[in-house]
Amino acid sequence: MAGRYSILPLVGFFILVFAFFSFTATRFASATNIENLLSGFSFVAMLAVGQAFPILLRGIDLSVGAIVAVVGMIVFDLSLIFGVPGWLILPVALLAGAAAGALNGVLVVYVRLQPFIATLATLAAYRGLVYSISGRQLVPELSTTPLRDPWIIGLETYFDVGRFLGISSIVKLPWIPLSFVALLALVAVLQLVLSATRFGRDLFAVGGNLEGARLAGINVARVTVAAYAISGACAALAALFLVARLTTATEALGIGAELTAIAAAVVGGVSLQGGVGTVVGPAIGAFLLGVILLGLTLLGVSQFVQQIMTGVILLAAISYDRLLALRVRRAGPSL
Amino acid sequence: MIPAAIREPVIVGRGLTQVYGAATVLDDVDIRIDPGEVRALIGSNGAGKSTLVKILTGAVRPTAGTVEVVGQQVHLGSPSEMIGRGVACIYQHSNLAPALSVLDNIFLGRNPTRRLGLVDRPRQRREAQALLARHGIQIDLDVPAGSLPAVKQKEVEILKALALDAKVLLMDEPTGWLASADVANLHATIRKLKGQGVGILYISHMLDEVFAICDTMTILRDGRVVAENAVADISRARAIELMIGRQLAAQTKEASEARVSRMTGSVRLKARGLARNGVFSGVDIDLNAGEILCITGLIGSKRTELVRAIFGCESLDAGSIEIDGAPIAVKSPSEAIAAGIGLVPEDRHRDGLMLGLSVSENLMMATLGRFRRGLLLDRGGMATAARRLIASLNVKPASETRQVRLLSGGNQQKVLLGKWLDGRPGILMLDEPTVGVDVGAKAEIYDILRAARDEGAAILVVSSDIEEVLAIGDRVGVMSAGRLVSVHPAKALTASSLVTMIGEAA
Repeated sequence: MAGRYSILPLVGFFILVFAFFSFTATRFASATNIENLLSGFSFVAMLAVGQAFPILLRGIDLSVGAIVAVVGMIVFDLSLIFGVPGWLILPVALLAGAAAGALNGVLVVYVRLQPFIATLATLAAYRGLVYSISGRQLVPELSTTPLRDPWIIGLETYFDVGRFLGISSIVKLPWIPLSFVALLALVAVLQLVLSATRFGRDLFAVGGNLEGARLAGINVARVTVAAYAISGACAALAALFLVARLTTATEALGIGAELTAIAAAVVGGVSLQGGVGTVVGPAIGAFLLGVILLGLTLLGVSQFVQQIMTGVILLAAISYDRLLALRVRRAGPSL
Repeated sequence: MIPAAIREPVIVGRGLTQVYGAATVLDDVDIRIDPGEVRALIGSNGAGKSTLVKILTGAVRPTAGTVEVVGQQVHLGSPSEMIGRGVACIYQHSNLAPALSVLDNIFLGRNPTRRLGLVDRPRQRREAQALLARHGIQIDLDVPAGSLPAVKQKEVEILKALALDAKVLLMDEPTGWLASADVANLHATIRKLKGQGVGILYISHMLDEVFAICDTMTILRDGRVVAENAVADISRARAIELMIGRQLAAQTKEASEARVSRMTGSVRLKARGLARNGVFSGVDIDLNAGEILCITGLIGSKRTELVRAIFGCESLDAGSIEIDGAPIAVKSPSEAIAAGIGLVPEDRHRDGLMLGLSVSENLMMATLGRFRRGLLLDRGGMATAARRLIASLNVKPASETRQVRLLSGGNQQKVLLGKWLDGRPGILMLDEPTVGVDVGAKAEIYDILRAARDEGAAILVVSSDIEEVLAIGDRVGVMSAGRLVSVHPAKALTASSLVTMIGEAA
């Protein structure tokens, strides 16, 4: 609710950046490039949307990249080693991600670890888990076998919107990847959860005033565990689309993804001070990062400079967030 | 009135005991509130009031004892259980979720829902509007609670409690931050609730309020109930005596009688035309050695901002400051300290004390330079100096190694004062020095300030407490909307003339 208005400047900035690259970088506004953007950054957006939940609670989830790898490897093992059918693998994968996230929540609530420490520890632990369950190591001959299950490979589908509308002879529209459609559905559902359900209201209360929420009878432990579970489930969803796209899983899947996700969430207006933010914002934030990075690539800027840019954007977003918080504190109630 | 036959108490606590480690903070306390009764709960800091409130709201589970709400035994230690039974509380500190709308805050933790857990917004709004109409409160339901001024936020907290249809309402220092007009408003609401048969427990340090609004009182001292009286049957002096013990009461009386008016010495701090854009402007101050100058006014009159600016926490847009006739430009607190200015801020937890550090470390914080021995600190010298200060300030318990967060509010405030007094700054500014401090510690703090003044310190006190201003001030300034409207010798003022002045200035 509070973020409703702060989305507008973000959208404005997005359009501005998009327009800038459209004019300066040839081929930027082409159908192929938009397709790359949509398919390449829908994963990032899913991670960012999930990341919004722990951050809303003044927490953070550093383990999302590692959860992506764990879930990817579970899909690989179940499908190639155990021959489990794809329709069964999909829900199992999502549950595994949610459970991995819920464990983070349990560590934060019941072991009382700081979220940064708890999820840094599980980041390391989940990464280790990936290697120990890696089907590529256990059954080396499978490492070059691609995934073929139609349920999984089917996730990498594109819709030819232009042809569907019968206008493909007039303009060349980008094909819309299924991952983007899934992202839209995810955003719609989670935004509804956040702004229209009791759980969503409780989440803002816990993030905005922990003691106040507890004294209002809100089950803080349940809300916290659920928020981290949602982050894990979103990471699992991203992993499914990523694996479908690569037709395999590797141990290095999702390395560094947590930073991009956090950057996208903060750029998307989720305050690190807790209690302020939306789900739509992080999704837009992810594509904003995508536009900037793809645009720079097309302008011929090197990968390393792009990494520097990601860092700079994250710093800028966090500084802006701090600035807002300071201003609120100054303008706040005083004698 | 409710007939006597069905006057079953709304809440009864029996044998409530709370033990933390070696300390018994609540010892076999019984409490009972009837419908339509307003019971005061008073006592010094550390007497166990907050603990008792926490037990009744379910925030903590007592070591022993039982609580019945309307005749039914409740499971202790669960806030949602107590709320479900109709026990509401208005807390001293804000318990609002700042990003949520006023509407959502009123129903925090118990929003009415439809299928799929979706919040039933139309119903929520309907109920809230009915509530506003019933209590004659006007507030925008759709703005984020965090954007409201403090007074309005308090109203939201009250609405939150009223929305529960509470049978028992606990109010922990409800008027701590309110200006007097708002206090009157609050008291009108209390009378209305009383008429509806709600049982109210009113916790306050302000005896004026207790005598104005309460029917009965329970006095706690050192975790025990020392008296239960009808308010009509007890005098103010007797209540204070019971709260703080006989000896201390005598000392306080003596000190206030020994007060002499004074305005001696030279001008230590001279400020001309101080201004900060949009906050305050045209403020002239002459603060003399050997005097206490109090600045009072309504909430929002920018007194805090003024002292913070003099101390260098906030920048000034215009004006000049001279100390002992020499112009200085204070751009940071460290420059202010170097110039001999000290500030005791309003929020001691946030801005004043290092809660995790020891009493000694807090006392020496601003003046650590004195204890430097080469690259290291002279620990022995610090401990000696700390013990001397602890004795002179009467900090309890008298241990220089104790963590400050383990002390009661009044003792924390003494430590904060000691931090400056030992540095012997010529100029000391205090912002609401006794908010949340019990009567006993208040008297001691006044004594400490008077003693410092008599030794020649120049002291500026920002305070909303009229009694306090008249008790310690040598001169009193009234501030309104960022301007220092007038300054008067305290001798010429009475409580009523000062209240009138504050009202007219606003």
